[in-house]
Amino acid sequence: MENNNPLSPHIQIYRWHISSLVSISHRITGVLNIVALTIICFWIASLLLGENSYELTKIFLNSIFGKFIILSLTWSFSFQMLSEVRHLIMDLGYGFELKTTKITGLIVIIGSFILTILIYLIGKQFI
Amino acid sequence: MVQINLPKNSEVQKGNYYQDKTGSKNIRKVNVYRWDPSNGENPRVDTYEVDMDNCPSKVLDILNKIKNEIDPSLAYRRSCAHGVCGSCAMNMDGKNGLACTKPHSEIEGDINIYPLPHLKVKKDLIGDLSGLYKQYESIEPWLKTNTKVETTEIIQSKKDRKKLDGAYECIMCACCSTSCPSYWWNGDKYLGPAVLLQAYRWIVDSRDDERKERLKKVADELKLYRCHTIMNCTNACPKGLNPAKAIAELKKMLATS
Repeated sequence: MENNNPLSPHIQIYRWHISSLVSISHRITGVLNIVALTIICFWIASLLLGENSYELTKIFLNSIFGKFIILSLTWSFSFQMLSEVRHLIMDLGYGFELKTTKITGLIVIIGSFILTILIYLIGKQFI
Repeated sequence: MVQINLPKNSEVQKGNYYQDKTGSKNIRKVNVYRWDPSNGENPRVDTYEVDMDNCPSKVLDILNKIKNEIDPSLAYRRSCAHGVCGSCAMNMDGKNGLACTKPHSEIEGDINIYPLPHLKVKKDLIGDLSGLYKQYESIEPWLKTNTKVETTEIIQSKKDRKKLDGAYECIMCACCSTSCPSYWWNGDKYLGPAVLLQAYRWIVDSRDDERKERLKKVADELKLYRCHTIMNCTNACPKGLNPAKAIAELKKMLATS
């Protein structure tokens, strides 16, 4: 017999905390990064078409929207890297105490922004 | 499958409003999830104004007060009222816990009370946990030993006994399993934190002789590895246990065995 009773609310009512936020962001940035990497591959391939195509992407990446995308992706990669390190440590069985997960979660979140700024500043030296 | 929205028959509607009749000045609004199986209507959230001057400290006391003084039709499970039986597990203020150990002073603003998440509701705050109990049975939570002598005790060293600390205290209230998004989306296959903690409890028990078979049984992509260390379980556990760590230990045992 099919059970037609209602399903109790879940994600609609459950309170977020740092670990769950980091976990879902890890997934979202993961998907973003895959998409970004694919686009970067296409971009590099398009350079084979010659100077014209290079100039076109240069104009796009120098626009405000282009810069926004570059910065967002830098953040997304930074977040993914730091969060992955956190996951690796957890896979070794460490850092499962509630307080520790909170601290490492915060480190990942704040660290991702710091890393973004660092990469931006270092990158500027090369251009 | 990941289903973010609730099915149509589960969408929560606005319910009744019960105004305070005591004339008390110290009033709190309590929103409670209600569903009546007898009339085929959707679930609703009723709001009760509760006189806090004459209410003891825990959320369960509020529910008792509502049931005794305002609305006797409210249904919820409770028994020991001391955080030992695990009956009154529910979602309060967006977090799972035992109503009998959760002080309402910890909650700011209106108090929202829902059943444990992602369960089939039986009535009001009572969720159907039979799926979880079946999974619990599947890990065979009893001692399996090859020792033939049944008249003497099986000796355990202090060190081995210590391994059970943090696992044997579990009261199977299901706060952890029903807080876990992986368990929400894959609850039919993924065992969930509560059952995995119990699986761990029997695997590390030095008196049990079927460690290998037990490990082999949980070593499954869906049964075990759906844990993505979201940490909702450890965050929710009203007994302060750490199911996430137990699951990590299980994964480690499998990786190194």
